[in-house]
Amino acid sequence: MRLVRDLGRRKLRSTLTITGIAIGIMALVVFGSMANKMNALIGGGSKYYQGKIVVSVGSMYTGGVQPMALSDVEKIQKVAGVAVATPSVSMMLSTTGGASMGVPDMITGSIPNGDKGLETFKIDIAQGRELNDGDANSKVTVLGSDLARELNASVGGTVTLRDQKFTVVGIWAPTLTAPDKSAYVPLAAAQDLLVGSLPPLMQSKVTASEIVTEVTVYPVAGVSPETLKTRLEALLGKDYTIMTGKDFDAMLGSFSAIFTMVLTGIALLSLLVGGLSTINTMAMSVAERTREIGIKRAIGASRWRIRREIVVESAAIGLIAGLIGLAIGAAMTFLFNDLGRPSGNVLFDLTLGTAVTAIVFSTVLGAIAGFVPAWHASGMDPVSALRYE
Amino acid sequence: MTILEGRNLRKTYRLSKRSTVAALKGVDIDIENGEMVAIMGPSGSGKSTLMHILGMLHAPDPNHGPAPELRLGGEDVAALSDTARTRIRARRMGFVFQDFNLVPTLTAIENVALACDYAGVKGKAARAAALEALGLVGLADRAGHKPSELSGGEQQRVAIARALVNKPEIILADEPTGNLDSERSAEVLALLRQFNREHGQTVVLVTHDAEVGAACDRIVRMRDGRIRDDGRRPAEPVMAPQLTPVPA
Ligand SMILES: Nc1ncnc2c1ncn2[C@@H]1O[C@H](COP(=O)(O)OP(=O)(O)OP(=O)(O)O)[C@@H](O)[C@H]1O
Ligand SMILES: [Mg+2]
Repeated sequence: MRLVRDLGRRKLRSTLTITGIAIGIMALVVFGSMANKMNALIGGGSKYYQGKIVVSVGSMYTGGVQPMALSDVEKIQKVAGVAVATPSVSMMLSTTGGASMGVPDMITGSIPNGDKGLETFKIDIAQGRELNDGDANSKVTVLGSDLARELNASVGGTVTLRDQKFTVVGIWAPTLTAPDKSAYVPLAAAQDLLVGSLPPLMQSKVTASEIVTEVTVYPVAGVSPETLKTRLEALLGKDYTIMTGKDFDAMLGSFSAIFTMVLTGIALLSLLVGGLSTINTMAMSVAERTREIGIKRAIGASRWRIRREIVVESAAIGLIAGLIGLAIGAAMTFLFNDLGRPSGNVLFDLTLGTAVTAIVFSTVLGAIAGFVPAWHASGMDPVSALRYE
Repeated sequence: MTILEGRNLRKTYRLSKRSTVAALKGVDIDIENGEMVAIMGPSGSGKSTLMHILGMLHAPDPNHGPAPELRLGGEDVAALSDTARTRIRARRMGFVFQDFNLVPTLTAIENVALACDYAGVKGKAARAAALEALGLVGLADRAGHKPSELSGGEQQRVAIARALVNKPEIILADEPTGNLDSERSAEVLALLRQFNREHGQTVVLVTHDAEVGAACDRIVRMRDGRIRDDGRRPAEPVMAPQLTPVPA
């Protein structure tokens, strides 16, 4: 209580200091939440790529995926160490390919159960059912949770993917990763969609059922994806992109590192600004209370008591600022997520860890900033302090 | 019994590299247990400086002369650490200042309880003791008031309550009535006198007021950094053995 009163006594200055730290903490919360989401996506991707190899021509991540022939699948299947090679077709949902924040909506087609049970990245079904062998020639789809919300789809209804109508048979549970924004269809339907989007001149030259965009390769138990990759490279040559889990991690690990750096930068900046501002506030408050400190020392307050008083007050400034910063930051992430949800752009994931870190960080910052003024105050001579006007 | 015993007390303030002020130039002083002593003297004669040394706010200068001695209840306290001196101030001494020196943000009872807290008595016990002390100075009904809501005389009575809440052995008061009119002044003096009489607390006070001085047991007069008169009755002249002729 007394503490709050002491803070209230210097309203303007405390308010400015608290605002300064709160802005830093708010930035920390917002960017931290963004990093959480990003890392969840990358983590999901990393898990997806473990223990398998994905072969394509060109790269999905640099844009410009080119089709390859179904005959490539047979070639790959014959390589020693390959357990299963199964073809798939992926494309962006949007035909215009407009850039959007985060992960784009995707359509993926493959042969139901084409992995022969080797896939380890399983996604739970929230409603309806998975695709099965009987769906091979139907226009049916299972939607990721974000995409389902974006398309306002429900099981049994129809959705338009590119320009064709599909019946929704299932919706996946949220994974917080890329599949949330995907529509999963049978291979033939995806091939049909892909060819439909080619320029008319090319359409006549290709047979829909002959083209694929990716081949997923599962190695035989005991064969490492890296060994298999070398063999596939020898077979397929330079035009093919052959990606293992390690390659994926190497590629996106640097992404994640940049994000962490940005976050650390913001943290350091808020540390500097908030810390200096708190030191200033506390130093001025100590100067203002010189006489009071003299009185307390004279009637028997130890140096440690005086130090503690100032450090605690300064930590309280940090704590209050942290709580305000967290509240604003949380409100912002929820607002942005709500605004983005209809278009499937859920960019923030405010975890308990981030929230707690922000609060602890600002409180500790406040306490540390109090050290200098605290030591100054406790070092004053009580008699001179008493005389101070 | 002598509760405070000072020998060779000196204090020199350094104003700049070259100039110094010798505020106390070698003072010997004895304060008896249960005494109420006034220290008087012209402005600048070193009264406050002596009070600060007796009250353990400052240590006497150890150099440039015979070693200073300061004993509190017989125990040597001349060269204690800051921590040890702080502890003595908290538990065994009470201070009253000319300009009251209450903490402006705290209420009367909180100001008094603060002294308990520093002496190691906390929470409910501290509040109870504080309320009792306020009662003794007749301000129990003002416990919740801030200093700014109290008159000067009332503030000084709160300060007295704060000085005696821990039942210290010694109360040191530097011009406690200096800022009060004669009526309030008499009240404050009466309070100090009462605690001295009823609880046997030793009181040392600095004053410029001859009436206040006259109400004390003894007046120590200072001038120019020295004690000119310690107010003790001159020692009985030693009787020379009288050689009275044996009557024949
Ligand atoms: N902190 C200090 N720095 C420098 N000089 C000081 C300091 N404190 C006291 N002095 C000087 O020491 C001398 C004695 O001061 P002191 O305060 O003890 O006098 P005093 O007898 O209490 O006077 P007054 O009746 O005016 O309160 C004075 O000349 C004063 O200027
Ligand atoms: Mg003085």
